[in-house]
Order: sequence, then C-alpha cells, then structure tokens
Amino acid sequence: MNRPSVYLHVGRTAARSHLAYLGEVAARATFLTVLLYIFLQLWRITYAETGADRLGGFTLAQMLWYLAMTEAIILSAPPVTPAIDQDARTGGIAVHLLRPISYPFYRLWVALGEQLVRFALNALVGAVLATALVGPAPLAARGVAMFLVAIPLAFTLDFTAHLGIGLCAFWLEDTSGLALLYRRATMLLGGVLLPIDLFPAGLRSALAFLPFRDVVYGPAHLFVQPDGDFLVRLLVRQATGVAALGLVAAAVYRAGVRRIHAHGG
Amino acid sequence: MRALIDYLRLARMYVGLNLRAQLEYRGAFVAQMAAMAVNDAVWVAFWSLFFSRFPVLHGWKVDDVITLWAVAAAGFGLAHAVCGNALVLATVIAEGQLDVWMLYPRALLPHLLLGRMSASACGDVIFGVAVYLAFVRPDAAHIALFAVLAAGVAVLIVGFDVLSASLGFYLGNSATLTDQWRFSMLTFATYPATLFRGAVKLVLFTAIPAAFINLFPVRALRSLSLADAALALVGALAVAAAGAAAFHIGLRRYQSGNLLTMRG
Amino acid sequence: MEAAIQLDNLQKTFVLTRWRRFRRVRTEVLAVAGITLDVPAGQAVAIIGPNGAGKSTTIKMLTGIVHPSGGHARVRGMVPWLERRRLAGRIGAVFGQRSQLWYHLPPRETFELLARIYGLDRERYRRMRDELVDRFALGAFLDRPVRKLSLGQRMRAEVAASLLHEPEVLFLDEPTIGLDAVARQELRAVVREWNRERGVTLLLTSHDAGDIEHVAKRALVIHQGRVVLDDSVASLRRRYLGSKVLRVRFHEPPAPFHLAGITVVKSAGSALKLHVDTRVVAIERVMTAVLKSGPVADIAIEDPPLDEVIAHIYTRPPPTAEDGAPA
Repeated sequence: MNRPSVYLHVGRTAARSHLAYLGEVAARATFLTVLLYIFLQLWRITYAETGADRLGGFTLAQMLWYLAMTEAIILSAPPVTPAIDQDARTGGIAVHLLRPISYPFYRLWVALGEQLVRFALNALVGAVLATALVGPAPLAARGVAMFLVAIPLAFTLDFTAHLGIGLCAFWLEDTSGLALLYRRATMLLGGVLLPIDLFPAGLRSALAFLPFRDVVYGPAHLFVQPDGDFLVRLLVRQATGVAALGLVAAAVYRAGVRRIHAHGG
Repeated sequence: MRALIDYLRLARMYVGLNLRAQLEYRGAFVAQMAAMAVNDAVWVAFWSLFFSRFPVLHGWKVDDVITLWAVAAAGFGLAHAVCGNALVLATVIAEGQLDVWMLYPRALLPHLLLGRMSASACGDVIFGVAVYLAFVRPDAAHIALFAVLAAGVAVLIVGFDVLSASLGFYLGNSATLTDQWRFSMLTFATYPATLFRGAVKLVLFTAIPAAFINLFPVRALRSLSLADAALALVGALAVAAAGAAAFHIGLRRYQSGNLLTMRG
Repeated sequence: MEAAIQLDNLQKTFVLTRWRRFRRVRTEVLAVAGITLDVPAGQAVAIIGPNGAGKSTTIKMLTGIVHPSGGHARVRGMVPWLERRRLAGRIGAVFGQRSQLWYHLPPRETFELLARIYGLDRERYRRMRDELVDRFALGAFLDRPVRKLSLGQRMRAEVAASLLHEPEVLFLDEPTIGLDAVARQELRAVVREWNRERGVTLLLTSHDAGDIEHVAKRALVIHQGRVVLDDSVASLRRRYLGSKVLRVRFHEPPAPFHLAGITVVKSAGSALKLHVDTRVVAIERVMTAVLKSGPVADIAIEDPPLDEVIAHIYTRPPPTAEDGAPA
C-alpha cells in the first residue's frame, strides 16, 4: 500500500463512521435554525436602524450567508486536542511511532476526514436555512468555488494549532483549558460572530499577525464576496501560518518524543 | 412556611457538602469555573465590539446587554450550583435513578435536585456578579434588585429544566431532545428581547419562556421598575409550577412502571 | 401482633410500548404473578431467585417506588405506594448500585446529612450514631474520605448509614458482593446481631449461600414471579444444601479410598474433586479418610453454588406445602 492511499483510506474510514450519526444532523439543524434566526433579527434591525444598504461591505443577505458559513466552519471542528493529549499522555504515541506513517500526518488525515463530513452537513443545513431566511442571492458558483478552495488549508491551519496545544500534554496536566481558550479566541477574533471588517481599526491591525482570521473569516468572506486577489493573499497567509505553526508543533513533538525515549513512555 | 425553612436548611447543607466534595479536586474545580467565565467573557467582548460600532440597538445600549448577560449568568449559575441535578434530570429519569431518591422521606423533586453541584455554574455566578459590578457600577438599590432578579431567573431555569426533562417520562431517553430545547432557551435568553416580534415573541412567553430573562429583568434594572420585576418573578414561578406539574404527571406514569424502555 | 410486612396476592404486570416501524407494539410482561405472605416483625428473611424472577419488582412495590397492578400490601401498617414518604422514615435500604455515602467525603458527613434528611432529633441521632460506630467498628475511618476506604469498610459504613434513623424494616440487596471472606463474615455478624437484638425485620436478597445461612432464618425462593419455596433456612439447608464439594491436591497420586456418601466428580493424577452428601456421611470422616490416603498439598471445602441448588429446587417439587413456615 503506497502512502497517499493509506492516508486516503484512513480519512475515508473516519468520515464513514461519522455519517452514522443521524441524530447529530437533527440536533445541528435545530441549533443552526435558532442561531441564524437570531442573527437575522439582529442584523435586520441593525441595517434598518443605521439606514445602510451595506455594512462592512456586506448587504443583509450577504451578512447572513457569511454568518451561516462561519458557523458551519466553527461547528465542524473535530476533537483534535483531546485525541492528541491522550496519545501524548498515555504514551500511545509510541504505537504510532511504530507504524510507517508519521504521527502528525496520521492525525491530520483523521481530523480532516471527520471535519469535512461535519462541515458538509453544517454547510448544507446552513445554506438551506440561509436561503429560507434571506433568499439565495449571495449564492454564486464563483463564491462557492473560491470558498471550497480556501477550506482545506483553513482546516489544516486550525489543526496545526491544536496539534501544538495537544502535544503540550507532555508537560501540562490538562490541555483542555488551553484548547478552550484557543477555540474561543478563534470565535471572537476569527470573525465568527462579527465580520472583521466591522472591528475597530486598531484591533483589525493587531489581528493581522494572528491565524484566526484565516481559518474562519477568510473563507467565509470569499463565499459572499469572491475576489481572486483576496483568495491568493489568503492562501499565502494560510500556508505561511501552517508552516510557522507547523514548525512550532514539530519542535514540541520532537522534544516530547525525546522525553518518551528518555523515560520509556 | 416551616416546610420551606426546613427545605432551605436542607439546601444549605447540600450546598455545603457539594462544595466540599468539589474542593477535593480544587484544580479541576477552578479550571471548570474559569472555562465558563472565559466563555461568558467572549460574548460580552462580542457585544462590546458590536456596540462600539452600532451604539444603539432598538433602544438597547451596551449597558443593557451587559446587564442581561450578568443577570442571566448569575441566575443560570445559581440554578445549577444549587440544583445541579436539574441539568442531568433527563438522564436520571432514563437510568432509573429516581428510585434511590424515592427511598427518602422527602418530597422527591425538590430533594433530588439538590444532589449535585455544577462546577462551571459556579463560574457563571461569579462572572455574572463581577461583570455587573465592574461594568455597570450599580448602587445599593440596583444591587439588591439584581440579587432578587437573579434568584428569580434561577427559579425559572430550574423549573424549565424540569419541564424539558419530563419528556423523559414519555420518550425513554430524551436527553438529546431536552438538550436542544434547553439550548434554544439559553440562546434566546441572552439576546435583547427587542429583536423579536410577532409569533416568535409569543413563543418567548410560552414554550421557550426566555422573555422573563431577556425582557423584564433588564427593564426592571434600567429604571428600577418594580412592576417589571414583579412580572419577571411571576413568570419564573409560573414556569416552575409548570415544570413541577409536568414532572409529577410523568412520575405517576413512571411509578406504574409502564415506560417505553425496560428498567433495571 | 400485626405482621411487619403483609402481601396479599400482590401482582405486577408491565406494559411495554415499543415503536416498531411507526406502529405501536404493546407487550405485557408479567413480573410478579401474585405473592401472598406475612413476615412477622423481627424476622430475617432471605429472598432468593435468578435475575428477572421478580425480586426487585416486589421490593420496589414494598418500598413504594412502583404501583402494583393488583393485590395489596402493607409494611408496618402502611400501604407503600400511598404513603411513600411516611413509610420511608421507617424503613432502611442498602441497594447494590446505590451508595448513600458521598464518595469524596468522610462517612461522618453523610451521617450528618442523613440526620437532616430524616429530621432526626439531635441527641437521639448522636446516641444512635455513636452506637453504630461502635458496633460496626467504624471509628478508625469515620473521618476518612470514602474513596480511600476498602470495600469491606465501605459496606459496613453503608449498612450503618441505613440504620441511623432506627428503621423497623431493613432491605439489603447483595450486601456482601465483592467482599473478601473476613469482611463478609464481619458484615454478616453485625447485621445478624442487629436483627436479633433490635428486632429489625430484615429482607435480604443474595446469591451467596453463606449470607443466607448466616443471616436469615427464613428463605423465600422466587421464580417467574411466584414464590416456589417458603421454608426455614434450616430446612433448606437440610434438604437442599446437604452437600459439600471437596477439592484435594496431593503431593503424589493417593491411595484409593471408598466411603458411602462420596462421589468422585473428577480425578486427575494428584488432584481430586469429591461430592460429599453430608446427610449420609459427616465431613470430618471424609477429611480423615482423605488425609489418610496420602500426603495432602492443598484442600478446600466448598458449598455447591447456590444457583445449582436453586435450579435443583425448580426442577423438583418441594417436599412440603408452600405455606409460610417461619423458623
């Protein structure tokens, strides 16, 4: 079995086991219905009160589709940190070291498999709801295409950050607190609830060096406002982020593995 | 009256024991409280960002939303710090754990609710109170009213938990459905009531009684209006009564043993 | 004197509603077919039967948790499902899956809570607690968190907790399960003493023959929702437990020996498994014969498993009529 097909197989297995959760679909649908309806009311009134046609460059319909897509992304996050934390803590990582595929890549493929399925479900439900609430106007082939192009690296970037956090299990008693902080930071600073265009200028520039906006805001923005330049810039930012965080995670990983070899796991 | 005082003393004892049991694992306890506080803080931060861009939302200002979050968090936290079993009541019913509580010479529902304390709920209480004091800078009258309204919200939340968990008497394990209903309630309750109109607003007074959190308490605290405070408290008691009624009707079904799923 | 527990044709049929392909399917399950019996105050009764026999359903009806489909019952003069709260103050229960003791706190704290739950008079509670601590030997760990106690210590504390409010009837469900031999003996002894000295009516369910023999005076065998045997434990022992299993391991293959009342169940080189009918031959004689036949490396005497005995009872009609025959 050659390497790519092994990864593919692992990814497909993880995806399939997730499709079995039909109950989750229903639960997700309720969740998103409540959330998107409330967002719609919030923004409908805001647009009416300010008398604006566009806010932050978005029309009302675009705003809601934007929020539907940010929610689809943020809700699809698989439990990466707990899995890695477990592996590091129990020394289960050692088992993976024996397999011919490298550990982080294995974990990445498992995470992507799970996340893509969840994301597809969320995006579908979100799209249906958004259409019902504001109509399908913002839905366009170009936007969807660019959105989908930006997604894989977005997920990989998020994964890489969580990989680094999970590997801290070599030293920390509990990584779930850190993971929660990171997730909440992504939610607030990644533009999940409010497009970054509407942030105060000072905050916007501060966020330029952080990866959050490239995981959520970037792709979702492309969905409602497809822009070739924006896409290219986003992909570069994502790749840079993956490289940077990847180096950090690799260093943590190597130090942790050295620790196992020293202490016998 | 004597029964109420007796119950309150029992509640105080349970809170003491629950707290001491939590403190046996101080680290985890503090971590869970902090996690919830962070969670709440993110939402307050969002609203701060929003209002920095759009100062008025249908008559609501940033102080109003922060007041809403403070009352909701304090009330929600108080509810589950004291009556932690309300959070998992659907599971308690599904797993037949009601039986062990029925062996005590106490009214079943009020007693069993006390059996647990949610650590994260303690974080909610601390957050709610801290945010109200720090951001709104209230005077003594407002603080007193805040405390009363938070207690009212707590009663409402517990009553609503019981109402939604009572589905378990009819559906076997209703945990997922109950959770979705509770999630809807929680979400609506933390957004300004003025966002909603018409049919939805009606729902917020009935099936998802969030109006008694996101409308009356905020109005009451904005202008120290006792009328609004009274409406909030009446609503809370009504929901609590509905919850208790639903539970006892379901309990009769449980005791006849004719449930969907076979018990132990 | 009025019996502590009276059952009069107590019945329970469960109606299970299941959804099969969008249609409602109702099945009736007969859990308790009709039990009539009297338990006089102060009696210690063992209730034996396989899982699903109706034991726990009967106990749930007697404690007011479940309403019967037919028949009547009274515990201390009260109808359980009509006066649950009042009755709860007069009965105690130790059920396997439920631990009253708070896991992270010392037993003392749980005792204090129970005093408040049962509304016990402060002085009376203290006296009762001190006596229980003394009799159940809890003093050494009364202030140690329950999670740090051994299972034996925990069970002693559990039973003591159930007696704090001085109940007149005590339900014990599998109290010695998982305990080592010493802990089991200790628990049985203290429960037995409490029953004899205080006249607490005892209802014990157990799969352990030792529990039954050492604690109970009367045995009820329940099978498929009915009482199939109601007799004194002494009779039960004589008629159905009149056998022992002897396992011997010799240093070298033993000389053969014969004795009436012995059946060799298994023999392999130096190991021997014997079935001894103690009605025919005393166990001491068998022991002597065994020790004479060769150098013994290891020897063990066991009761036949209770399930075997009960199965025996179901397949053979009981020699006496099924009226309540207390010790």
